[in-house]
Amino acid sequence: MKIIEHSFGPDLDWLPHYAEQLGGKIDGNFIIAPDNGIRYILPCGEGISAFYVDVTYNSDFHKIQKNRDTDFIGLYYNLTDGEATLTARDFMYNVSRWHYNLSVIDGLINTDYVVKSGSRTYGLAIFIKKSIIESYAKKENIVINQIEEITNPEKNTIIRFDRMSYDSYYILEELHKQKVGGPIFDFNLAGTVHLLISNYLRKLSTNKIILQTVNQTDLNNIILIQKYLIEHAEETFPSIKQMADMANMSESKFKILFRKITGSTPNVFFMENKLIKAKELLEEKQYSISQISDKFHFTNNSYFTSKFKEYYGLSPKIFIKHL
Amino acid sequence: MKRITHFYSLTPEWQHSFAKEMGGELIDNKIIVIPEDIGHGYSYFTQVTPGISVLYVDFVLDTPIKITRQKSDNELYIFHFDMSEHVNLIRINKIDYRIGTHEDLGLAIIDNKMKSTFKPAVGDRTLAVRLLVDKKLLDEFIKTHPSEEHGNRKISVPKKSLYYYDHIDSHSMLLIRSIKDRSVFDSSFESYLKGISLRLLGNFLDRYEHSQAVKDEITDVEIESVTKTQTYLLDNLYNPFPSVPFLSKMAGMSPSKYKMIFKKQFHNTPKNLFIEEKMILANRLLQSGDYKTLTEVIYELNYSKLSYFCSKYYELFHRKPADDLVKKKYNQKCITKSTLQ
Repeated sequence: MKIIEHSFGPDLDWLPHYAEQLGGKIDGNFIIAPDNGIRYILPCGEGISAFYVDVTYNSDFHKIQKNRDTDFIGLYYNLTDGEATLTARDFMYNVSRWHYNLSVIDGLINTDYVVKSGSRTYGLAIFIKKSIIESYAKKENIVINQIEEITNPEKNTIIRFDRMSYDSYYILEELHKQKVGGPIFDFNLAGTVHLLISNYLRKLSTNKIILQTVNQTDLNNIILIQKYLIEHAEETFPSIKQMADMANMSESKFKILFRKITGSTPNVFFMENKLIKAKELLEEKQYSISQISDKFHFTNNSYFTSKFKEYYGLSPKIFIKHL
Repeated sequence: MKRITHFYSLTPEWQHSFAKEMGGELIDNKIIVIPEDIGHGYSYFTQVTPGISVLYVDFVLDTPIKITRQKSDNELYIFHFDMSEHVNLIRINKIDYRIGTHEDLGLAIIDNKMKSTFKPAVGDRTLAVRLLVDKKLLDEFIKTHPSEEHGNRKISVPKKSLYYYDHIDSHSMLLIRSIKDRSVFDSSFESYLKGISLRLLGNFLDRYEHSQAVKDEITDVEIESVTKTQTYLLDNLYNPFPSVPFLSKMAGMSPSKYKMIFKKQFHNTPKNLFIEEKMILANRLLQSGDYKTLTEVIYELNYSKLSYFCSKYYELFHRKPADDLVKKKYNQKCITKSTLQ
């Protein structure tokens, strides 16, 4: 197991030390490390920095985060395929793709992040100065203390484990397709950072459910169903009954919880996911529209077209034409 | 018709005079609410990064207006993305450019040095994103991405009034559409708009860089199925040519499409490729010494006329088949005997 101790923050003074710990060096915005992973840093102005990571770990890896500069909040979007856990104080959470894939952590808190060998991490960490979040919270009348009381009663620090919205998930997946480095990527990365922040702030102000308060088993079951729906996007919609059975819940409980956790009903979620996948296939230009509509088990082409248009605002034909 | 004149700068100052002239209310130095007597809607202006600012407009007009942008000394490119579903007009140098998704031409890039007039249609929702980008920023990009096409690209010709006039690509279209549903008064709007602006610029530069790379693309599936027919041809060289309709059916496409893709992939027509391969096989057979006469060889290869075979053979090798024929020897026994010893 490799153990490193490091610090993060919106000011990038932690970089040289971090690179050194990894046994690598800084090259422009990249950190070149011996594990051949991609690590890319971009300051996005106004006290915001982004850290893009795409690494496959060959050995267990333990990162101890002790921040020297504590005046920031980190948003960690973590899409790890494999096993990754985060420990702080007296609790431990699984923070990979199918668990809590978004953690919001105050710079004051020291954390232990452990990734198992063989995991592939794709993630984006956004460091924001506290003053920015606070001014926003004031404007929107969000009482952060109240939200955070559950997790941390004794100190006024923020720590929250959450699932990113599906919207954010796809924004990140889109970024992942881009070639890293260069001015175009910088624009896209900075753009993505702003979009993610916006989505998160929006979620804060509209969605009051706190994921950590949901029963752990129920949550895992719902996420499993979500995963099942994503993996079976090409097939027809499984019935609510079937899914409720899979999740070991009653149908009504399943429907309510699914809606609470993912933000949409199973059917809407399934259809959106289908359309997103269909769009990706269209982008590749390997299949015709009717082939795709068949592939995703739409009853006919016109139904696919109308759904596509409803969701994206333009027909698949025009979409292909203007790519 | 109401006329409004204004100018642009990267900083939000220009909005004061603009709002005043229009009679609209300026909120927070970002949002201008369009007065009731003109129509209803908003504009939203914010600085994204140093050197990039964005203006988002979303309104429905009741009376026609003409918004004239005075030229100013700020060295700016103006990216105008128009997502309105009807036609708006931009007038530059006395030429009207029609813009909007309806026209398939939604993107125009204008130099801030040129005066331009924007005439939005009345009674329909006008939705547009304008990016103001410092010229230095893009020049730097063009310098760091030198490629031969830039000579022909409109953007590097500073004298033209309109640098770029094209449709909006699908990705950008989806991005702009996603703001449509958000309220400008939502406080997450600002960072969302900033994000969209940066992504739009990224998309544009990406497209600009790869603009010449667009080619007639053949999909992998098509290549695979055409290759399958080619293998079939090569496996059946002893038979007559199976006909293009048969092959195209096998590849699952129309005969004309099949021929086109086949030619692109193998630089030859199916029939020609078949004959060439057949002749190469014939050459091998002739020299194998297993045949007594030419007729035997051509029957083996399913030809009925010797003269036709000879002409095709000559076409490829510039030799007569008779010259290549190694006749079968009768004294087989002697050979086997000698090999036995």
